[in-house]
Amino acid sequence: MSASDSKPLYAENPAWNDVTPIPQHDEQSNPMAPILYTQEYKDAVDYFRGIVRTGEKSARVLELTEHIIHLNPAHYSVWQYRYDTLIAMNADLKAELLLMDGIATTHMKTYQVWHHRRLLIQQLKTPIPELAFIAGILEIDTKNYHTWAYRQWLLAHFNDDVMWAGELPYVEEMLIYDVRNNSAWHHRFFVVWASGVRTGDGNRQDTLRRELNFVKSKISLAPNNDAAWNYLRGILNHTSTPFSLLRDFIVPYTVPQSSSSPPSYVLDLESPLPSEGSDLPCAAALEFLAEIHEEDKHEESIKNAVLLYKQLASEQDKIRKSYWEHRAREALKLVETNV
Amino acid sequence: MLRPTPIDNHPTPTSYDQRETERILSSLLSESPYPPTLNRNTHLNFLARALFQGFPKHYTAQDASQPWFMFWLLQAFNVLGAGLDPANKQRAIDTILKAQHPDGGFGGGPKQAPHLLPTYAAVSALAIVGRPGEGGGWDQINRKGMYDFFLSLKQPDGSFHVSKHGEVDIRGTYCLLATATLLNLLTPTLTANIPGFIRSCQTYEGGFASASQPYYDPDGNLMHSPRPALGEAHGGYTACALGSWMLLKPVMSDEEREGREGILKENVVRWLAKMQGGEMDLGGFRGRTNKLVDGCYSWWVGGCFALLEGLGVKHDWSAIDGEPQSASVPESADADADAEWDDIEDELYNTKALQEYILIAAQVSSGGLRDKPPKNPDAYHTSYNLAGLSTAQHRVRIVEPEYASMSDDPLLISPDESSTERDTRRRKVYETAYYWKEVESQSRVLGGMKNRVNATHPLFNLTVTHARGMLRYFYGQS
Repeated sequence: MSASDSKPLYAENPAWNDVTPIPQHDEQSNPMAPILYTQEYKDAVDYFRGIVRTGEKSARVLELTEHIIHLNPAHYSVWQYRYDTLIAMNADLKAELLLMDGIATTHMKTYQVWHHRRLLIQQLKTPIPELAFIAGILEIDTKNYHTWAYRQWLLAHFNDDVMWAGELPYVEEMLIYDVRNNSAWHHRFFVVWASGVRTGDGNRQDTLRRELNFVKSKISLAPNNDAAWNYLRGILNHTSTPFSLLRDFIVPYTVPQSSSSPPSYVLDLESPLPSEGSDLPCAAALEFLAEIHEEDKHEESIKNAVLLYKQLASEQDKIRKSYWEHRAREALKLVETNV
Repeated sequence: MLRPTPIDNHPTPTSYDQRETERILSSLLSESPYPPTLNRNTHLNFLARALFQGFPKHYTAQDASQPWFMFWLLQAFNVLGAGLDPANKQRAIDTILKAQHPDGGFGGGPKQAPHLLPTYAAVSALAIVGRPGEGGGWDQINRKGMYDFFLSLKQPDGSFHVSKHGEVDIRGTYCLLATATLLNLLTPTLTANIPGFIRSCQTYEGGFASASQPYYDPDGNLMHSPRPALGEAHGGYTACALGSWMLLKPVMSDEEREGREGILKENVVRWLAKMQGGEMDLGGFRGRTNKLVDGCYSWWVGGCFALLEGLGVKHDWSAIDGEPQSASVPESADADADAEWDDIEDELYNTKALQEYILIAAQVSSGGLRDKPPKNPDAYHTSYNLAGLSTAQHRVRIVEPEYASMSDDPLLISPDESSTERDTRRRKVYETAYYWKEVESQSRVLGGMKNRVNATHPLFNLTVTHARGMLRYFYGQS
């Protein structure tokens, strides 16, 4: 028997005698697709509707809403009313936040759980410990969408140098753990490029160089990784940097791995070679090379681009055949308009 | 010999999960008959059980999504070619109306606070089962209350809270715009600044995130930059963004449509195309880069391709330099069938492979469709897998609008708009929403006509018939 089974129903609890429970449906209605609730849930939400009707804001309302949230963490009307109650009672929001820690861990994929935290932090204005809390959740669920978006909101909203300072190291840690984690790559873009310039990062040439070296090293580690390639493309587009700047880096990724590659102790930071055992050529590199050709716009270059797209369509990335054919057609238009 | 996703001698948790999924999915191929069969009747029974017997107690966690269940179940019924009898239609109407809040808008259930998402679900469900007149549902919608509810949620950056004190994200934007379009509630006041918000949600990957963070200058003006996206590009949010963009196109300024506020279309196309899984994923769609395929993205991502033409992405299928349309050499055993499919493939994704995923991986033999094996089916995945099957089978496109004369609507008179401006605006909105048609000669049904499902309106995820019925009524067209 669980703890909640031994909790008395509100209907049988004298402390709630003064509240009139309100059922969801009238007796006559015959709803379609009904949910066959437990008695515990039905009882609790009947009393919730009762106190909403009277507008009560009290400690027992906090108990009731907490109870319902445990049974149905997505009940947004209950969250809304709980928040209104906390504010009306001038309640201890720090204690509320602590209470929420447990709920967030159990129900981390629920919108309302994260949104309630956000409302509390907006009131408390204590975002720094949240970063550690978020990191704890992400350790369990490394790609949780709400959690990453909440972290980004926190950083942007408070825009505090101390908070920003830890983000690049944090992303690097996450990418060491899993270089394919696209949520982490997106976070890096957010921190470095999308939400203004970080203190000390004002020389954008240096920033670009650092970021290019970072992403190239990660591509060299595991070339068949769309997250890294999308990041590379993203920063080049964002800074209006021609793709052709990376020609020397790209070419080794567009051919099968050579047995006569230079020995591994020869490091080239500008153009790190694919690591041992890489599966080459990789589709993203072929596409990238095609776009380098397209930047040229001369007929011969465009022909080369089209050949690469056809190679993708017929060999390397067959599922996207119709898309690569679209890219080939778009490439040909560059010649037409250049005549 | 099927090729798994390459690991480059550097396994990580992502690649472990991907390999495991590929193992499970590709093992289905040897077990499944080909071509696969849509088990229409078992799915209808699955849906009917939910509609008439109800949901077991673990669905308590969905108690705030009751209108969604009505929409998912009723729309799935529709796509499969079934409908309710008049008595049950009335029961459905009555059930849905109970979720309407006295002040306007629909909530997740009777006596729940109004919320944009169940509002969209309820109105969409009423488009399916409702009608004008007493007890028909349509006339019982409190349009004025709903409009006021919408405005109460509007934020200066063009976004909307989904409910009072609720989260801000682009799902709310889509749900509001789709509902407002169907019910003839779009006004300049309502739509101001929305395009800029949508644009700000596009990430460097090309897809769209849940929301963006506004920054204001000391005078309180919204800054163009920075305006970072919150969360990575995601299939659900992308569907909402593109649907919203299409719905707003008729009322956008040129600057909003094409200028620096315009969305980057080729980036969208690339991201959408890259979301399709490979052969060991059976051609299903994932929702984010490097995550696993899931049947619901058959609609959220697959369904977006139907919007591309309307968004201005041209893809004409004339020959490249005089060569045959299909540049590839089909390698599968069924080379003739592949070549035939290639000749009619007019989408920028592999429609045949998506149908294979849905029919082979997503279908559950005991009824319903799922994310992927070994997960259980549910109403949400059943609905969106079937919507995805519909979009993969049929081409529904915008056709030339015909002139539509507007009757006036005193509810929506705004002081800074002349009646001519109002009529012109609403006509354009109506035409954008109404004039979609199935191009029947270009259907491509894997496994033959026994697997055919009904076509779906790309903007609303309703049949064209149902969308048009509601539009005609609320725009005063006979």
